[in-house]
Amino acid sequence: MSRVDVLNGNQAAAIGASLARPGVIAAYPITPQTPIVEYLTQFKVDGKIDSAMSEVESELSAMSVLTGASLAGSRTFTATSSQGLALMYEPYFRASTLRLPIVMAIVNREMISPQTLWGGPQDSLTIRDAGWIQIYVEDNQEILDMMIQAYKIAEDKNVLLPINICYDGFYLSHMSERVEIPAQELVDKFLPEYEPEHIKLDPKKPMAVDPLTSGYLLMEYRYRHLAAQQEALKVIEEVDKEYADLIGRSHGGLVEEYRCEDADCVVVTMGSMSGAAKEAVDIKREEGYKIGLLRLRVVRPFPSKRISEVLKGKNCFGVVDRNVSFGWNTGILYQEVNSAMYRHGGDVPSVPFIGGLGGEDVKIEHFLHAIEKIYEGAADGVDCEQTIWLTNER
Amino acid sequence: MKAIDLVSKTEELISPGISACVGCNVELSLRVVMRVLGPNTILAVPPGCMGGVGVVGWDMKSGAKVPVFFPLLDNPASMLAGIKLHYDRLGEDVNVVAFAGDGATVDAGFQCLSGAAERGDKIIYICYDNEGYMNTGYQRSGSTTKGAWTSTTPVNKEGIGGKMQNKKDFPMIMAMHDIPYMATANPAYVQDMVNKIEKAKQVDNGLAYIHIFNPCITGWGVKSEESIEVARLAVQSNFAPLYEVENGNFKLNMNPRNPKPVKEYLQKIKKFSHLTDEDIEELQADTDKKWNRLVNLASL
Repeated sequence: MSRVDVLNGNQAAAIGASLARPGVIAAYPITPQTPIVEYLTQFKVDGKIDSAMSEVESELSAMSVLTGASLAGSRTFTATSSQGLALMYEPYFRASTLRLPIVMAIVNREMISPQTLWGGPQDSLTIRDAGWIQIYVEDNQEILDMMIQAYKIAEDKNVLLPINICYDGFYLSHMSERVEIPAQELVDKFLPEYEPEHIKLDPKKPMAVDPLTSGYLLMEYRYRHLAAQQEALKVIEEVDKEYADLIGRSHGGLVEEYRCEDADCVVVTMGSMSGAAKEAVDIKREEGYKIGLLRLRVVRPFPSKRISEVLKGKNCFGVVDRNVSFGWNTGILYQEVNSAMYRHGGDVPSVPFIGGLGGEDVKIEHFLHAIEKIYEGAADGVDCEQTIWLTNER
Repeated sequence: MKAIDLVSKTEELISPGISACVGCNVELSLRVVMRVLGPNTILAVPPGCMGGVGVVGWDMKSGAKVPVFFPLLDNPASMLAGIKLHYDRLGEDVNVVAFAGDGATVDAGFQCLSGAAERGDKIIYICYDNEGYMNTGYQRSGSTTKGAWTSTTPVNKEGIGGKMQNKKDFPMIMAMHDIPYMATANPAYVQDMVNKIEKAKQVDNGLAYIHIFNPCITGWGVKSEESIEVARLAVQSNFAPLYEVENGNFKLNMNPRNPKPVKEYLQKIKKFSHLTDEDIEELQADTDKKWNRLVNLASL
């Protein structure tokens, strides 16, 4: 039976991953991801899961253990944050280039320096070009649902890529919400067992994995990897629909549109800040502004066409980034969204915003201000070299 | 198993024609290891000499007849641990084995090896110790002997230079992890090596570690035809003793009645040719000290 519970984000992640029945779990604790590791080891000792578990000595080993386990044929799970993700980079890149459908939750946390442990997706966005699929969610229900969907997307024969489900540290990881937990039988029906055909270390069928490979072959690998990323755009939407049909919830697939249909301007957001942003949109709508919201969910592959379809023809849009792109003087997503618009011929002025770094709140009032600035841009033009910083008084 | 039976009763699992240097005793060691382990083995060969000579393979060709892969330099033990967890959970018995150089073992991969040893991951980890990064042009490692020339511990025209620090006593470090089985081995003592691999294969309650001492022809300046002789001298002089530690109990496998002077071993090797008598005395004193420590441990 499906049931309803009050769960924090880390519980939702641990329960979601458990419902997928991973064969091997390896994780190393780091704030704010730590409770996931505790929940999973507790599930194991309580006999709720039969996964093999390894309490590794570092994140480098967490990803390495999973790389081995996945190469042998297991479904796998781990989770990490910021510095742990950075330490993991070497096997992280390799997990994708080996085409291993590993699932990893990233509890987004700001990168040091200065020393910090609060939320922000700088950690995972910085390594968005390491070949993984990256999906960013808004609330705890979406965390749980996407943990289950993650395996279905990653293991699809046309995809076969590792996947990150990313959510804001503390804002979601340590905040409790009402979450519906689907019945195990439903999840089993949704998610068949993982049977690798493309790569497997098995003495019954010897295979050499990763001999020294010449450039002409490596290019073939990269060509197919890029193609698989594009294939994932379709699969993510299909899996969202399939999940909605069977379990009853859709999260929008590639993006979530909120009051965009008749909008003349749009604010673009990602992650947990979208809740406050939607409130601001509602307030401005009542004041007569035809503002809409576009919430980015999938950063890799980047749904450039889908995004441009929403933003094309608008008078102006703004992107609120909870991260920075060093060298661009904006956030990362601002550059990504503008690349999408340029590629698909949408000439719409856009305003770059940065806010919420190091776990600072991005409040309704920030979005009200941002929306005003977007309308000013629509009327007077935008100096897109001038990023607007959304800060809190101290 | 008798060493002589290796050829007639076991299968050659490493392809002929891999491109190791003429007289390479690491290649010989790998062939012995794989013959004893047999085909029910998954082999990890991290970057290093054996990776470089084609054991994992080049393009669409492989140098091994078992499942084989390149782990990263710094994660062989962790990747193997994951593979073993998978097969253990299915109840399938498979030898999961690393054949790694000292760079991957005592330096870059030490953290994950130490972690796997502490957790009791049921893998076999074999280190071929050729005292440095011999595949990439003879750079020093934590396992290089004090005083030795390497391309990153050069020696000037006046004969001054060489490595300034001691060799990491890695077999002892692994023994102190209280793993079920730790042994040293040497390509000049094949029967002893066979016995030890067989024991490692039997271990089912944790990590088994074997440290093979492999003098490097090319990187050290050893004559190809003296490859085995130099390896043997390292044992006969107590410089690289043969011993094993089973469940905490130390045992000497070779106890030379009249150990040869370390000088006899050193003078066969070009990387030590600049050493002064004083340097050699220091290495002799160090060898004696470590040997006495080992004898004491074995007498407990």
